[in-house]
Amino acid sequence: MSPRRLAINRLRDRVPLDVAAIDRFVTRYGSPIVEGERATFLWRGEADGVSVRHRVVGLPDPLPMKRLPETDLFAVTTVLPEGSRVEYQIEVRRGETYERFDDPLNPRLAHSPLGSSSVCAAVGYRVPDWVQPDPEARPGRLLEEVVRSKALRRDQPVQVYLPARFIEAIRYPLLIVHDGGDYLGYTAMKTVLDNLIHRLDVAPLVVAFVPPRDRLKEYPNYAPHARFIARELVPWLSGRLPLRDTPEARCLMGSSFGGIASLSTAVRYPDLFGSLLLESASLVFTDIGFEHGGGPHFDPVVKFVNRYRAKPTRPVDRIAMTCGVYEPLITPNRSMVPVFREAGMAVHYTEARDGHNWENWRDRLGELLSWLFPGPQKFVYE
Amino acid sequence: MTTILLGPQRFTVTVTSAVRSLDVDGPVAMINAGWEEREDDDAELVKKLDGRGRNLRLYNRLVDVMTKDAVFAKGALTFRDRQEELRKFYGVRLQAAVDAAHAVLHRSSPHGLKTAAFTGAVQGVREVDRWYADQLKELYREMDQQVSVRDSSVIGWHRGEVEAILRDSVAAVIAGGHVGFLLQSLRMFSLELPEELPVVAWSAGAMALTERVVLFHDFTPQQVTAAECHDHGLARLPGIIALPYARRRLRLDDPERLAVLARRFPSKQLVLLDDGTILRFPSGQTGAPAGARVVTQLGAVETVGDRVGTAAGEGR
Repeated sequence: MSPRRLAINRLRDRVPLDVAAIDRFVTRYGSPIVEGERATFLWRGEADGVSVRHRVVGLPDPLPMKRLPETDLFAVTTVLPEGSRVEYQIEVRRGETYERFDDPLNPRLAHSPLGSSSVCAAVGYRVPDWVQPDPEARPGRLLEEVVRSKALRRDQPVQVYLPARFIEAIRYPLLIVHDGGDYLGYTAMKTVLDNLIHRLDVAPLVVAFVPPRDRLKEYPNYAPHARFIARELVPWLSGRLPLRDTPEARCLMGSSFGGIASLSTAVRYPDLFGSLLLESASLVFTDIGFEHGGGPHFDPVVKFVNRYRAKPTRPVDRIAMTCGVYEPLITPNRSMVPVFREAGMAVHYTEARDGHNWENWRDRLGELLSWLFPGPQKFVYE
Repeated sequence: MTTILLGPQRFTVTVTSAVRSLDVDGPVAMINAGWEEREDDDAELVKKLDGRGRNLRLYNRLVDVMTKDAVFAKGALTFRDRQEELRKFYGVRLQAAVDAAHAVLHRSSPHGLKTAAFTGAVQGVREVDRWYADQLKELYREMDQQVSVRDSSVIGWHRGEVEAILRDSVAAVIAGGHVGFLLQSLRMFSLELPEELPVVAWSAGAMALTERVVLFHDFTPQQVTAAECHDHGLARLPGIIALPYARRRLRLDDPERLAVLARRFPSKQLVLLDDGTILRFPSGQTGAPAGARVVTQLGAVETVGDRVGTAAGEGR
């Protein structure tokens, strides 16, 4: 039995292809149409050119759509392996004018500090059920705090998560999250923590969410930032909360440049932290010369990573790492895994068919947090 | 007197019939300290006991002691921190030893040396278990020297109440939950279940009735995936290691993994307690009764035959 033809090809075969038929097709399928390992993107309207814009390494970007003859329907079909999740937008050209926007035929959106994007989820992709609020999960609390920082010469806001059933008599591990506001906003990390702790997947822990002021300056191996985290924030938190006073109980976390901030802080203050959680860390390096292609903001990153690769150290015991296979950072991340391991650190590395985005980082939290802070599953037999 | 171990009660409720089968008339003491702060949400359990349940409220009493007796609380928290540290070191050593045993099993052995190597590897695991048990015993000894449950008037008061309820009870049930808190509560009030008192227990409760409480979960993302000795239970069934939820928590289709687990405890019977399981231990019987599913030293799951009261490890 031959595989069923794609819906868009069945539409093409229809004669005549009138407006009513296209209306029915678009209403029925929306966009994108996911069929097996193929995704077909649609756009309707008058334009001189229409493309799908995305940042998937391996697929052409822009991905031009073709007009179905004598219609106002544009379409393109691309491969989409099982379990994939892709964020994209539609770009329309009229004359010399380009306009980019979310796919009007797709209600599914993802959000980030840069705005929204449409989401194409392949067969097999599921939003983890611990992302949604669980009425049975007792909520933790978020405290709004301000830490006076000499290192950064400012008052630094910090949001501190206390797990449900927090009591002073227990000593908790500490997780410090770079881009803290974004993690709370775009990965629903408070809900995720509430749920994972409730399910016994993750141990109750205290989490400090720290937003940057100028992340492109402060995150790539910036001494004042590291000093703030290590010499000001950790003592400030330890003085106010019942935290376990061992490196093993302290973890730094971040995505992208936040991953570099985590690693570089740990390298500057070895033995203060026991673990790192790095999501799509910007571990860009060069093996010869300095042409890294990342622009001037990446210069301090590349200097730092090159120096680390030349003389790898063991600033922590364990690293939980992830990267999307569709993002350019996949190669540097894969390359750093053996470097970290050879330096003597235990590395838990996982990849996803996803990109450099917050929902990817959200979806990985369950696996990575439970590896770093295993919950009391072994103790509970109901 | 009779002891009955049951499978988990969440989906298949057998506690009602088990308690009725004891044919006793009167109050039934309930221990559900493993439910922690939900200990008082016991209406459903009371109902399942035909309304006869009387909750010992051991978890609430534990919290009360920690709140009112500052000296004892300080000592107990220090002990907890030290035990936690000990568990971390135990986990590091244990996982390495268990990994070594599995690595030995997976190597080819053209000259027939594997058996000796595997025996040695398992001995290595046992040595780590023994080291942990010795260290834990020492921690308890040191704690007893600093703060003793016998010296706390708050604990003494609670113990008086608990003993009074137990005296009036014709049976006791021990529910599942967090086995760590359950054991802690039992230990704090030096709870002893008289031999003549029938006891029905499931899940964590069943584990608490054994001598060696072994924590296990093959499917958890923990760094320490090996089963871990945790603490001593009440030792009412000293020859048994209780494994609740075995189907969901153990790789029962992996005989090598099961063999390593079983051979760590050669003098014990590893008894699976899945949904619907009802195991009756008449007075004096310590071995698993007929019908019990146990893990053999070869890593197979077998049902105990009609040889009632098979001695632990016998014939295996």
